[in-house]
Amino acid sequence: MFGQLFVKECRQTAKSLIYWLIVLVMIFDFASQLGDMDIEKKPEEGQEDYGNKLSDDKNVIMEKTLGLLAEEYNRQNYTTYPIGFYKSVTVDEEEDRRIGEIIAETTGLSERTDVEKAIKDWYGARQEDTEGTGPVMTEQLALEPVEGLRYERFEQLMKEADDILGGGSSYAVPGLEGNAVVPKTYEDAVVEYENLVEKDHLTGGYARLFSDYMVIFLGILPVFLAVTRGLRDRRAGMRDLIYARKGSSASIIVSRYLAMLVMIVLPVLILSFIPLSRCLAYASAAGISADIFAFVKYIFGWLMPTVMIAAAVGMFFTEVTDTALAVLVQGAWWFVSVFMGIDSLRGGLYGWSLIPRHNTELNFAGYYENFAQLVCNRILYASAAVILVVLTVIVYHQKRKGRYRLAWKGIGRLKRQI
Amino acid sequence: MSATIEIRNLNQFYGKKQALKDVNLTIEKGMFGLLGRNGAGKTTLMKVLVTLLPKSEGKVAVCGRSVEKAQEVRRITGYLPQEFSMYPNMTVYEAMDYLGVLSGLSRLQRRQRIPQLLERVNLQEDRRKKVKTLSGGMKRRLGIAQAILHDPEVLIVDEPTAGLDPEERVRFRNLLCETAEERIVILSTHIVGDIEATCENIAVLDRGEIIYKGTVPELISMAEGRVFQAEISKSELEELKRRCIVTSMLTLGNNVMVRFLAEERPFASAKSCEAGVEDAYMYLMHERGGETGCSDSYL
Repeated sequence: MFGQLFVKECRQTAKSLIYWLIVLVMIFDFASQLGDMDIEKKPEEGQEDYGNKLSDDKNVIMEKTLGLLAEEYNRQNYTTYPIGFYKSVTVDEEEDRRIGEIIAETTGLSERTDVEKAIKDWYGARQEDTEGTGPVMTEQLALEPVEGLRYERFEQLMKEADDILGGGSSYAVPGLEGNAVVPKTYEDAVVEYENLVEKDHLTGGYARLFSDYMVIFLGILPVFLAVTRGLRDRRAGMRDLIYARKGSSASIIVSRYLAMLVMIVLPVLILSFIPLSRCLAYASAAGISADIFAFVKYIFGWLMPTVMIAAAVGMFFTEVTDTALAVLVQGAWWFVSVFMGIDSLRGGLYGWSLIPRHNTELNFAGYYENFAQLVCNRILYASAAVILVVLTVIVYHQKRKGRYRLAWKGIGRLKRQI
Repeated sequence: MSATIEIRNLNQFYGKKQALKDVNLTIEKGMFGLLGRNGAGKTTLMKVLVTLLPKSEGKVAVCGRSVEKAQEVRRITGYLPQEFSMYPNMTVYEAMDYLGVLSGLSRLQRRQRIPQLLERVNLQEDRRKKVKTLSGGMKRRLGIAQAILHDPEVLIVDEPTAGLDPEERVRFRNLLCETAEERIVILSTHIVGDIEATCENIAVLDRGEIIYKGTVPELISMAEGRVFQAEISKSELEELKRRCIVTSMLTLGNNVMVRFLAEERPFASAKSCEAGVEDAYMYLMHERGGETGCSDSYL
């Protein structure tokens, strides 16, 4: 029965308008981001630019972070991203004084005028160094820390500055490395290219990039499908006809859930053939041994847990409330995740984000070093999705017996009495 | 396994409100009518029988299976709810096929049974029509077809003829009677004519209590000798309506032909008539002190 029900659910999904709207959004997302994807060429010596990278040199991290703090202190305005959203922060006199003291302790610049002068001097020197060779203002200000400043003390002071600013600033301790953006050298670029070709077999890097773009919309789209499916029985007046059937609640809910997953992942798999074929063509011409299954691996490993949790949230909240509340719940979660992910576009900073980002085909090292974290992240969401599906089955089962409805009404009555 | 539905001391509560009070019934094979006003508790009783509502107190067994074993009961019962439809974009055949899968029928069983049933409910020609294009009567017939798709031992239909035109109503009643030849069919309705035309055994439910159970002729016998007919002037009508139950009236110029219930012949021109189910039902409801009561002088 389960197999036949699953096929019927897939067919129902394929006939729904909302499904085709979701597919259109996915195609649009793919075409706008990866429609004209170029394959990374081997870097050549003497190239003007090899891109940027994050430095793990503690001195560089301190210099760049202090440069940023000094600039914002001088401007008397700070940019923060609490829960991922932009916020302009102006501090009061006491807080301004304390940040001044932190700058003094870390850089030796004890007066605001000293800070202003240091900034001017730094940009002036950069202008002289690069006279006529290109833009200079894009390079980030760096201020040398005072001699003997220990990194631990630096972190303590940055945490204090972040607390003063209300969190979400560039001085939050996990994330200070993000301030240390430095240009890549030719050697860096060669290492990254070799990683792409030898360790990622070319397709791995592009599968990550593909996943990075697709995961954004896959964090929200499945919820619409789940909500419309959940509400369809009631809207169509078919609920009692289904409730009174022999079929088990588990087979009904799980077949619907699996059908949703398959129907969402199917267009993703089809779209992945485009970058895969480009990669294979390039690999063939360049004599690179490509991994033909890389996209499939990333779709199921990287994207599927996000699809699973979004669909499960949709099913669970729809079954519990008989409303479209799940869209609000998932929408809010998705919104916060997308904005918080802006800081981790380079990849490697996967954390526990619903939408792990890796917006480059390169940075295999970042991926490799944080692979365990990524795996934990994905297992967490896949497990949470399974738990939500089990809870949905329980709620659905109780509703079929009329128990959940009575309990719900009972709670309402109790609240009124209180 | 017993081929009856046994209901013993069934009480049903919605919070403090009691929807069913100490209901005791034994329902055997054939058509069984459950009659009662709107809100009498008929749908609650139906839902307990099809396991869509947990019983509060008492014992209910469907063909020997307790309603607590929901899946077992669902396997042998078919249900046509009062308000229902199907996915509007599905065709008649697809909707039947989908529900057939949910009933655990194999592909082969569905292929054999669905055309047979659609033929039986006169929908075979419309099998490719979308559900949303069906008329009310066609939807009801499709409802019956889906309810007996898995060949259940018990068929429970809740207010099935509401909103149907007279022709569809007759067709639907006949269909129910044919279906009842091989199973228990419970017809819940507030339309007395449906019961009269189809059921031999009935129960009358009022405010959650069974106030009558027995055969239709037994119910009719309760009103025998108490049904009268008379032609009176329109000015007398109001007085008659105040004093007894007028079950029907027909205007004839300045006069009205009325049919009413009374314990004794109230005036010389009143003629005694043969009682019908509707008369008996109205009499029964009055006996229970319902809103349909007659003044003491006549009843």
